[in-house]
Amino acid sequence: MGNSAVYLEMIRIRFLMMLAYRTNYYSGILIYSINIGAYYFLWQAIYGAQESIQGMDAAQMTTYVAVAWMARAFYFNNIDREIAQEIQEGKVAVEMIRPYHYLGVKTMQGLGEGLFRLLFFSLPGMVVIWLAFPITFSDNFAVWGFFFISILFSFIVNTQINLLTGMATFFLLYNTGLIRGKRVVIDLFSGLLLPISFYPLWAQEIMQFLPFQAISYIPSMIFTEAFTGTEIYQALGIQLFWAAVLIIPIQLMWVLAKRQLIVQGG
Amino acid sequence: MFYVSIFFQYAAQYLKTRLTYRADLVVEILSDLLFQAVNLIFILVVFGHTTTLHGWSREEIIFIYGFFLVPYAIFTAFFNIWDFNDRYIVKGEMDRVLTRPVHSLLQIVIERMELESLFGVITGMAIMFYAGSRLGLEIHWYDPLVLLIMVIGGALIYAGIFITLASISFWSDSKTDLMPMMYNIGNYGRYPVDIYNRLIRFTLTWILPFAFVGVYPSAFFLGRTDWYVYAFLTPVMGLLFLTIAVVLWNQGVKHYRGAGN
Amino acid sequence: MNVVEVEGLRKEFKSYSSRSGLAGAFRDLFTRNYQVLRAVNDISLHIKKGEMVGYIGENGAGKSTTIKMLTGILTPTAGRILVNGMNPHKEREKFVRTIGVVFGQRSQLWWDIAVQESFRLLKKVYKVSDDAYEAHMGEVIATLDIGPLLDKPVRKLSLGQRMRCELAAALIHNPPLLFLDEPTIGLDVLVKMKIREFLKEINRKYQTTILLTTHDLADIEALCERVVLLDEGKIIYDGRLDQLQKNWVEGKQIHFEFHHPVERHALIELSGGADVKWRQGERCNEWIAGIEGDEEAVSQLMSRVIQQHPISDVKVNQASTEEIIRNIYEEGLTHG
Repeated sequence: MGNSAVYLEMIRIRFLMMLAYRTNYYSGILIYSINIGAYYFLWQAIYGAQESIQGMDAAQMTTYVAVAWMARAFYFNNIDREIAQEIQEGKVAVEMIRPYHYLGVKTMQGLGEGLFRLLFFSLPGMVVIWLAFPITFSDNFAVWGFFFISILFSFIVNTQINLLTGMATFFLLYNTGLIRGKRVVIDLFSGLLLPISFYPLWAQEIMQFLPFQAISYIPSMIFTEAFTGTEIYQALGIQLFWAAVLIIPIQLMWVLAKRQLIVQGG
Repeated sequence: MFYVSIFFQYAAQYLKTRLTYRADLVVEILSDLLFQAVNLIFILVVFGHTTTLHGWSREEIIFIYGFFLVPYAIFTAFFNIWDFNDRYIVKGEMDRVLTRPVHSLLQIVIERMELESLFGVITGMAIMFYAGSRLGLEIHWYDPLVLLIMVIGGALIYAGIFITLASISFWSDSKTDLMPMMYNIGNYGRYPVDIYNRLIRFTLTWILPFAFVGVYPSAFFLGRTDWYVYAFLTPVMGLLFLTIAVVLWNQGVKHYRGAGN
Repeated sequence: MNVVEVEGLRKEFKSYSSRSGLAGAFRDLFTRNYQVLRAVNDISLHIKKGEMVGYIGENGAGKSTTIKMLTGILTPTAGRILVNGMNPHKEREKFVRTIGVVFGQRSQLWWDIAVQESFRLLKKVYKVSDDAYEAHMGEVIATLDIGPLLDKPVRKLSLGQRMRCELAAALIHNPPLLFLDEPTIGLDVLVKMKIREFLKEINRKYQTTILLTTHDLADIEALCERVVLLDEGKIIYDGRLDQLQKNWVEGKQIHFEFHHPVERHALIELSGGADVKWRQGERCNEWIAGIEGDEEAVSQLMSRVIQQHPISDVKVNQASTEEIIRNIYEEGLTHG
């Protein structure tokens, strides 16, 4: 892989770019804190006098919310919008003649962004939240290990879905609706807003067949130790499964997109 | 009068353009509906596990949500400025706007309007009527009028906050993802703000007053008399925040650096 | 009465520099370095009604910044500015009704709708009456030959077609003052000529004042009697184009095309006592000698060079405007 140096450079550049936008940095921390804070109180009110809901107590729920948002900082990116924009502006045609894979570059840019947020955003943010709210961190080293493997898969699956939505622009021309819709669906079905176990059973059954739980629900459940033992391996297996399966539509769409590009001439 | 006729000219052009890309229009309306459904689902799921939220019933929370959708729909239809920095500052579209004889903010509002978002008004009203009838609320002769005032006030608050955020781009050359994130914060004004601690409550009331686009004005229709004062502050806050925003905007235009320097 | 009255105009920008490397970027989160750049440095400029003025300068010389201040897009840092009797930024909305602006690199038209729909919208925006529109635009559309394009969406037009439509759009309200920023950039020669003809026509007919920036000096030669030269934010020449040609370089240029590669120092040795500047031409083994002096000096140089180095071609020209301007920028204003 002679190209890996190129991809590493992409990560580094994006990392530096993120660091350059300092207004973004400060406001991001503030807004994530408000988000987590508001959800904390919302869940306090929902629990009210109840000890536990669906086998999770209030403290676990708080941890779940905090971790879900912090993990989101890592896996979240806007490459779908970037791809859509580059397609509309005809820049993708130029990217095609460069000696690397366009989708690979986009993924690496997303990873650079994610790593930046994880290090400069989620980690300090977690400390702040740990001071402000009663959050329990696991003292089991293995749980942390599983969690990091899991959010890596979160990133992969989320990015794959973003690539698909972004590439849809090749066929739709204008694509804002789909991108917006996708974001809403992920917020709901990934378990960011609500643990999937809270949904009615019939809904849970449907969601089991969708890739979205691999994005937020699984890492958060691992971190809060709501998943234990073999459940963890099963969950990671689901993530791996989706990461592998989603390669198929991406490749398919890419081939079609290239053909489309040749026909339309960018 | 001039502005009204300009508005209709733009609106007519807008419809023509939108109808050229019908597929996207349909997807966009569907995604709006989905977005509205998501929040409703959240409320329904949560109330599957509890009966009251700090003394507020499920129907009351749903009613608040229904109300919220109406000013929010108006806001999203006319203030589609979340990518202002990228589109107008970085890409320099502001240059063009400033060479035309119409107030710059108004031009951007009418250039970027997304009239299909107004569907949210219908959804919101339907949800309010549903929740209201379940709660056995009576409709008084003055209710439509109060609703109108509250809705306008709420939309102005949203507009004010987002125009203020957009104005920051005139001073700061770096891009921010502030606006997309701010949409999340808007959601918290839909819950009874006394569930939060003092800091968040204060923020949602006076700094980012999203509570005035949700729980406060709804309190009037729900007969929560202890919050009437806040309810009637809604139009005042709306005007205040819009005024601040427009003043900031006008100042910002003087700091506009132009594109490509 | 001057259309443009500018006195001591200045524009400063704060420019942030980022430190290098990861550690530097991290420090930038807390404090940033910046310096103040003076993009336009105390410019004074007066333009009379009906003049066509060429505004020339290298990239970053401050051309666009000046134009943007004159059109009310940017607020000046200091100085007095009066265009069409108004302060552009203070009375922006009233002011822009009296000017037309074309940015070569940026479209004024709506991308997705037909050209005539854009025109109709602008007609409303500029409050142009139906009669005035018919009388004036009918002619503009005919002269620019864009009639057949009117019902096409802008995104389907070629650059040349779009540019002609942009020009028409800027003239909907028949403004007495027209700003053109790189109007011919990327266009082919025929379209360029058509646009130049058109500009001459409206200038003659309506006494329209035109301020034009361009990289193509042929535009300026074809249109402008007066040029303003800008360098690092300052005006270094403001006067007639033919004066510039006359005063600046009296000398001639000799183009040699040699059979074999020739070294610069060999050529300099051959210059003898004459004032000769050698530079490499675009073609292979082409050298151009700029020589100041009479015909005697020219023929002496030619004979010396040709004796030493076999040539395949030789030409003698008067220095072109482009040449003159290049000289001015390379060597500063040492003469005249």
